[in-house]
Amino acid sequence: MSDRLRPLLVVAAALVLVLGVVPAVLGALDRSYLYQVANLALIFVLLAASMHLVTGVAGLLQLGHAAFYGIGAYTAALLATEAGLTFGWTLPLSGLSAAFVAVLVALPTMRLVSIYFAVATLGIGQMIYLVMLNWVPVTKGPNGILVTSGLELFGYDLSASAPAYFVVAIITLVSLWVIHRLSHSYYGNALRALREDDQCADAMGLDTVRLKIESFAVSGFFAGIAGALWAHTAGYISPADFAFPQSILILAMVVVGGLGSLPGAVIGALILILLPEVLRPVGDFRNIIVGGVLFFSILLMPKGIIGEVSALDLVRRQLGGAWRGEGTKAGPEVGWR
Amino acid sequence: MDYYLQQLAIGLSLGMVYALMAIGFTLIFGVLNVVNFAHGEVYTIGAFAGLVVITAFAPPLFVVLLIVVAVGALAGVGLERIAFKPFRRFSDEASLKSRAMREATLMSSLAVSIIVREAIEIGFGSQFQTVPLDRLLNKPISLGPVTIVSGDVIIFVVAALMLGGLQYVLKRTNVGLSIRAVSSNPLGAKYVGINTDRTIIWTFAVGSMMGAAAGILVGLYYGAIFPSMGFIPGIKAFVAMVMGGLSSIPGAVICALILGFSESIATIFVPSVWADMVAYGFLIVTLIFFPRGIFGGARDRV
Amino acid sequence: MTALLTIDGATRRFGGLTAVDNVSTTVAKGELVGVIGPNGAGKTTLFNLISGFTPLSSGAVHFKGRRIDGLKPFRIARLGIARTFQNLRIFPNMSVFDNVSVGAAGMLGVSAAEAVFGGRARSEAISRRAWAALEQVGLQDLAGELAANISYGRRKYLEIARALAMEPELIILDEPAAGLNDTETRELAAFIQRLHGAGMTVLLVEHDMGLVMGICQRVVVLASGRKIADAPPEVVRKDPAVLEAYLGVEE
Repeated sequence: MSDRLRPLLVVAAALVLVLGVVPAVLGALDRSYLYQVANLALIFVLLAASMHLVTGVAGLLQLGHAAFYGIGAYTAALLATEAGLTFGWTLPLSGLSAAFVAVLVALPTMRLVSIYFAVATLGIGQMIYLVMLNWVPVTKGPNGILVTSGLELFGYDLSASAPAYFVVAIITLVSLWVIHRLSHSYYGNALRALREDDQCADAMGLDTVRLKIESFAVSGFFAGIAGALWAHTAGYISPADFAFPQSILILAMVVVGGLGSLPGAVIGALILILLPEVLRPVGDFRNIIVGGVLFFSILLMPKGIIGEVSALDLVRRQLGGAWRGEGTKAGPEVGWR
Repeated sequence: MDYYLQQLAIGLSLGMVYALMAIGFTLIFGVLNVVNFAHGEVYTIGAFAGLVVITAFAPPLFVVLLIVVAVGALAGVGLERIAFKPFRRFSDEASLKSRAMREATLMSSLAVSIIVREAIEIGFGSQFQTVPLDRLLNKPISLGPVTIVSGDVIIFVVAALMLGGLQYVLKRTNVGLSIRAVSSNPLGAKYVGINTDRTIIWTFAVGSMMGAAAGILVGLYYGAIFPSMGFIPGIKAFVAMVMGGLSSIPGAVICALILGFSESIATIFVPSVWADMVAYGFLIVTLIFFPRGIFGGARDRV
Repeated sequence: MTALLTIDGATRRFGGLTAVDNVSTTVAKGELVGVIGPNGAGKTTLFNLISGFTPLSSGAVHFKGRRIDGLKPFRIARLGIARTFQNLRIFPNMSVFDNVSVGAAGMLGVSAAEAVFGGRARSEAISRRAWAALEQVGLQDLAGELAANISYGRRKYLEIARALAMEPELIILDEPAAGLNDTETRELAAFIQRLHGAGMTVLLVEHDMGLVMGICQRVVVLASGRKIADAPPEVVRKDPAVLEAYLGVEE
């Protein structure tokens, strides 16, 4: 198997799984609850992937990611219910509004480092949450918004369980592809340089402030997209969906999977969404599980799952070799990780 | 006018509570340079411990406070052993206060705080707990034209006593001396024979005592004891610490009072649900414009 | 000879301390200039003034006739000044190749949109530069290693390769021999000479007198922030002011 073929095979396997096997199983079981779980898992995969870019790759510890998710969801819900727009409009507008707010957040906070940046994003996330909770005339406050219309593309109603799943799956996959292109390229390496030593990156000619703001905006954009997907598929949103514990949940996914690794973020998201579902018969311990998994993964495997477990390390290598310095003679195993 | 004075009285007790919380943060930050995200849970534990004691034995408030403070100290020690000690693998200053250590413990304390909060929720339910009515600190007291409640006085007195006690401990006892030594120069403290590990445990114990006391006082003041009650005060206390310049106890106390007053005054003009905005606003403004705290202590690149 | 870099009355005060005091000198295109001085003489501060990490208190720095003091470090870097750091600042959790590619990427520019939707032109250009720089320092066989896993001496070359990938007109080396043994220092000297022979302008701050005296065309001597000599090595060696400054330091 050649080195070029392997990533293609992995991608093909993922496509077959997400667009073939999972919908087939869901269709056979035909329970709307399972469709919801599948959508939720995909939405959190997207959220974790968007956080991976800013926290894992660019090294900016973010504690308010759920706020951008919320902005996307509220934008979509309000545009759908108040303005009667359909999914084709609400989706991009949700992403853009979240990205816009992300830039506003990033401009003043980018010169803060490490935990001060983390706490600033926590504060801003809380402010956004307070607005969702208390700006009742617009957001309907704690009662939330019922989103009954809008999952419609080019005149086709896609709101039934199976079509909605495909919408979520395809948008998530496309977004993952974009994030993969960003994080596994010279662009991702420039962001990694910021994470490693931003002063040094500055001396290499990288406009560190612009790059940080850019990565923050892109990450916000995809969180907003995830928000729109949630608003349209869940049919109901309320501020509690975007509160601080959700930010921590997303952070936990990225940390558990392994900071800096996109497959890691995906796996982390799947574990933390699906594990509590599997354990539901035992009791609703979702948050305890999140806390426990986060704690033990920091304690026992600081690099997350990927990079420690050998079977998954293989996955990392295979997904990681996407770019290997084209245009020169065949060098040793090198590529953007 | 009376209404304003009343709000100021409320602001004072609010500020005192934030001060008690902020001291725990500040002590721990001073010694370890880490943010203890589980500090809010110590506050919750204090409130729940007090509630359990009250419902079981109904002892006088003074005894309740003593028990709560003891439970808080234990919780602090346990927290340090579980969420902080395992990450302190090296003893030199660079790694003791390194960025990696900071971020790892930030997340480990976050994880522990989630687990504690959820465990309490599973044990007691997520709703407001029933506090015996006669134990609420809401007996009206008339001071000339102003009416305050007994809680305002009790919180002020208890907090003032604890602040005084802390000052005594820090300035006059060996434990306090070693806390101050480790906080200003951990490596030097180690060289002159101070047991850094024990000092860190003491710091968590002392800081958590004050946090737990704040928890039960507020719980009885508002009659609101619930599993996630510690989150918001935790953030407020953190804001006070940042405003005060991170490792200055007087700075944190003054800023906690400023925060308390600002919030109670803000509720005169806007609905009280927006009051939390004040703290977040202070946080962002301080971080961006006064990275050394509003009194301008020494701090490197923030 | 045209002056590539002109430092004019550069002064930097930290509180009451004047770390660099009215230092003026020039570096011509193709020159190999050394800066020496006892500990605390202000050598590294001078470098930070040139590369924009520390703002000047007074004075001016011109590069290719353009005033560069007050510019952000990345702008100065893009004009063609690459630097290494005294205490070895590589990106430890990135591969050797990735480290070097950052230098090339910084100079060629990075764009999110192009990284996602663009063709391969830019990434090819970046990787060509990175490979060329790796070959120049002889690290091409280690390209896939994690930078944290290679030996200390090689990390020094990695840092230089990263600077070379920027294809600068002036390269500033801040104590490149620090921590190297005698053999490694000699190899490094030969390497710097080769670099200079290939036309690179080099400014070298060094503690190791032997290295500087052996390879530099001109030596600037700093003591307590002031310039006390600026002459070819053989002249500096006999300068009484220099001897005094180094008394008990020079072996």
